[in-house]
Amino acid sequence: MTLPTVLPLLVWVLPFAAFVLLAVVAPLRRAGPRAGLLSIGAMGVAFMAALVVWVEDFRGEATWSWIPSDGGPIATVGVLVDPVSNAMLVLVTLVSLLVQVYSLAYLGDEPPASLGRYYTYQSLFAVSMLGLVLSPGFLQMFVFWELVGLCSYLLIGYWYERPAAARAAVKAFWITKLGDVGFVIGIVLLWSATGTFDFGELFAKAQEHALAIDRLGTIMFLIYLGAVGKSAQFPLHVWLPDAMEGPTPVSALIHAATMVTAGVFMVTRAEPLFALVPEVLTLIGWVGAFTALLAATMACVESDIKRVLAYSTVSQLGYMMAAAGAGAADAGFLHLLTHGLFKALLFLAAGAVIHTVGTNDIFRMGGLFRAMPQTALVFIVGTLALAGVPPLAGFFSKEAVLSGVWEAQLTGPFLMLALTALLTAFYMFRVVFVAFFGRAFGAGHPHEAPWLMRGPLWLLAALTVAVGIRLAMGGEHEAPAWLVSLSLALAFAGFALAWAMYQRGVVDPATFASALAPLDFLARRRYGIDALYGGLYRGLVLGFARLIGWIDRYLVDGVLNVLSALTLRGGDGLRRIQNGRPQDYVYGVAFGVLLLIVWAQLWR
Amino acid sequence: MTLETVGFWVVAALLLVSSLAVVLTPNLFHAVLYLAAALVATGAVFLLLEQPFLFAVQLLLYAGGVVTIVVFAIMLTERLVGERVGQASRHPLNGAIVAAAVFAGIVGFLIQAPIRATAPAPVVDTTASIGRALVGPFAVTLELLGVLLVAALLGALYFARSEE
Amino acid sequence: MSGLQAYLVLAALVFAIGLFGVLTRRNAVGILLGIELMLNAVNINLVAFARFNGDLGGVVFTLFTISITVAEVAVGLAIVIAIFRVRRTVEADRLDLLRG
Repeated sequence: MTLPTVLPLLVWVLPFAAFVLLAVVAPLRRAGPRAGLLSIGAMGVAFMAALVVWVEDFRGEATWSWIPSDGGPIATVGVLVDPVSNAMLVLVTLVSLLVQVYSLAYLGDEPPASLGRYYTYQSLFAVSMLGLVLSPGFLQMFVFWELVGLCSYLLIGYWYERPAAARAAVKAFWITKLGDVGFVIGIVLLWSATGTFDFGELFAKAQEHALAIDRLGTIMFLIYLGAVGKSAQFPLHVWLPDAMEGPTPVSALIHAATMVTAGVFMVTRAEPLFALVPEVLTLIGWVGAFTALLAATMACVESDIKRVLAYSTVSQLGYMMAAAGAGAADAGFLHLLTHGLFKALLFLAAGAVIHTVGTNDIFRMGGLFRAMPQTALVFIVGTLALAGVPPLAGFFSKEAVLSGVWEAQLTGPFLMLALTALLTAFYMFRVVFVAFFGRAFGAGHPHEAPWLMRGPLWLLAALTVAVGIRLAMGGEHEAPAWLVSLSLALAFAGFALAWAMYQRGVVDPATFASALAPLDFLARRRYGIDALYGGLYRGLVLGFARLIGWIDRYLVDGVLNVLSALTLRGGDGLRRIQNGRPQDYVYGVAFGVLLLIVWAQLWR
Repeated sequence: MTLETVGFWVVAALLLVSSLAVVLTPNLFHAVLYLAAALVATGAVFLLLEQPFLFAVQLLLYAGGVVTIVVFAIMLTERLVGERVGQASRHPLNGAIVAAAVFAGIVGFLIQAPIRATAPAPVVDTTASIGRALVGPFAVTLELLGVLLVAALLGALYFARSEE
Repeated sequence: MSGLQAYLVLAALVFAIGLFGVLTRRNAVGILLGIELMLNAVNINLVAFARFNGDLGGVVFTLFTISITVAEVAVGLAIVIAIFRVRRTVEADRLDLLRG
C-alpha cells in the first residue's frame, strides 16, 4: 500500500464513512441539512484527494484476495489506479459534490428526515460509483454496478409517494437488470474460461493472444448487454426518460457522472477485451449510432425540458458507445468526461428554471432570459457545448468521436452521428429559444436561484469553457479539416433551423412537422418502444402469470380439491361401515377368519 | 362298530341337535334349556375322550353354574320389561352362509392336515395328573386365573348393582 | 374317518352352529348362548387333541377355558342387565351408540 493506492482508497472511504454515519446514526440523518453538510464535507475532501490523484497522475494497484477456495482465491478486490479511473474519480466526486451542494437549496423545502435520507442515498451512490471506477476486476465492478443500480432506484423513487416516481424507479431498476443478467452471465462465462476476474491478468492474456476462448464473441456480447442497460442503449433506453421523475439534481447526477456513464466506463475499461471481437465492436458502433439518432429525434418533439435533456443524454451516450465500437474508446471516454460536465450544468440549470417556474413544460416558460440572466447564460454555455461549438469542451470530444468513427470506416454510423449532431443543435436551441426568449408566459415572477444553486452552475460553466480551451491548446484533436467544417456547419444548421422556427417564426413548426408527418408521429410516440414493452409485459408476462394462476387455481388446486373431496367422500362411505351393530362386526371377524383360512391353505 | 363308536355317534347327534335347537328356537328360555343339554352332551364327549374329571367340571360349572346364571338373567329382564323375552332371527340366510363357509374352511384344513389316526394308551389317573400339572407347570396361570375370576366377580357386581 | 378327525369335525360343526347363533340372534342373551357353543367346540378340540397326542396341556387349558367362560358369562350378563336398565331393551341392533 503506497500513496498512489491509499489516496484513491481514501476517496472511496470518505463517502463511505459518511454513508455509514448517516445510515446508522438516525438522529444525524433526521437532522436534514446537517446530514447534507456532513455528506458534502466528506465529498469535498474526497474531491480534493481525487484532484491530487489526477494531477499527480498516480498509477498503481492494490488488491486483496476474496472468496477463498481450494485452488486459491477466486476473486480479488481492491483499487486499480490508472488515468481512466483517475479522470472518473475527479468527475464523479466533482459532480457529486456540486449536486449535493445544489440540492441543499433545491430540496430546501423537504422535511429534514427525508432530506437526510436523500443525502444518505447520495453518499451511497457516490460510494458505489467510486467503487465501480476503482474496480480491479469484473466481480467487484459487478457488485458496485448493482449498487449503482440500487441507488438510482432509491433516488429516482425519492418521492416515493408519487405513483409516477415509484413506477419510474421500478422501471429503471428492472430495465437495467435486464442488461445486468447478460453482464453477470458474461463475466461468469469469462471466468470459467479463463479462471480470473482480474482486468490486469485478462488484458495481459489478451495482449499475448492467449485468450483464444470459444465463444468469446458471445461472452463479450453478454458483457456488453450490461452496458446496454446501464448506458441506456437502444433498445433498453426506455428507463432513462422516465427516470426524470426523480429530483432534478438526481437526474443531473445520474446523467452526468454516475449510472449511465458506468456502461461506457465499463466498455472503455474492457476495451482490450472488446478489441478481440471486432464483430461485437461493430455491433456496439451501430447500436450506439442508432441510439444517438433515435434519441435525438425523440428529443426534438419533447416539450418537457428534463426529458429533452434525458433524450439528449441517451443520444450522447450513443456517441460514446459508437466511439467505443469504432475502436476509439479514448474518444468516447473523453466525450464522457466533457459531457459529464456540461450535462450536469444543463440539468442543474434546468433544475433552477423548474424550481422557480414550477413546471417542466418549455411552452409554459418563455422570456426567462430577462428574469434569470445568469441561469440562462450558463444554460446557453451548456447548449453550445452540447451542440459542439468551439472552443467549448463538447466540440473537441465530439470531433474526436466523429473522426474515430470515420477512421474506423463505419460510414453508416458516421452518417447517423452527423445527422444527430444537426438534430442536437436543433433541439437544444429549440429549448433555449422557447424557454429563455420569446414572450414571457404570463403568471408567476421567475427569479434567479439562490447562490447555493448558482455557484455550482457557474463553476460547471467555467469548467466547460476551461476544459474546452485546455483541449484546444493541447491540440489533442487531430480531426481532418473537412470534418471540423462539417460539424460546425451542422451545428449552425441546427441552430439556424431552431432560430427560424421558434425565434423568428419564419417556418411554422406545425407545418414542418406535418412535412415529416410519419417521423413526427413515431417520435411523439417514442417509436412505440414503450408501448411494445408494455404490450410484451402485458401480453407475455401477465399472460404467463395468468396462465400460471389458472393452472394453480384449477389444475393444482383442482387436484387437491379432488383429493380432498375423495377423502371426504371416502371417509363418509367408510363411516357407514361403522354402523354400530355388534353382529355386523362379527360378520367382519368371520370374513377375516375366512381370509386367514384361505391364505393359510393357498399361499402359505 | 365298537361300543365307543356307537357312543360317539349318539353323543354327537345329541350335541348337534341340541346346539341347533339353541340357535333356532324362538323362545329364549327354551334356548337356555337346550344349551344345558348341549353342554351335558359336550361333557359326554369329554367322557368318551376319557376325561371324567373334565366331565364333572363341565357339569358343575357349565350346566350347573352358567345355565343358572343365564336363567336368572332372563327372568330378571323379563320381570323388568313385563313381557316375554322372545328372539327372532336377523338375516338367517346370511348367517347360515357365513357359518357354513367357516365350517367348510375348517374342514378343508382337517382334510389336508396330517392327523394321527390312533390314540395312544390313556393315562391311568388323569385327575391326579391334572392336579399335578395345575400346581406344577401351570401354577402361574392358575394364580392369574384366580385373579381374573376375582376381577370378573367384582366387575359383574359393579355392573349389576342397583343405582342409588 | 379316524377318531380324531371325527371329533374335530364335530367340534367344527358345533362352532359353526354357535357362529350362526351369534350372527343371527337378536337378543343379547341369545348371542351369549351362541358364544357358549363356540367355546364348547373349542373345548372339544382341545380335549380331543390332548387325548390323541397324549398331552395333558390341552385338558388343563380346557379347565382354564371353562373358568374363563364362567367369568365371561358373569360379566356379560351383568352388562346385559345394566344396559337393559338404561335402554329398556336387550336387542343388539338397537345398541348402536358406536355408529359412525
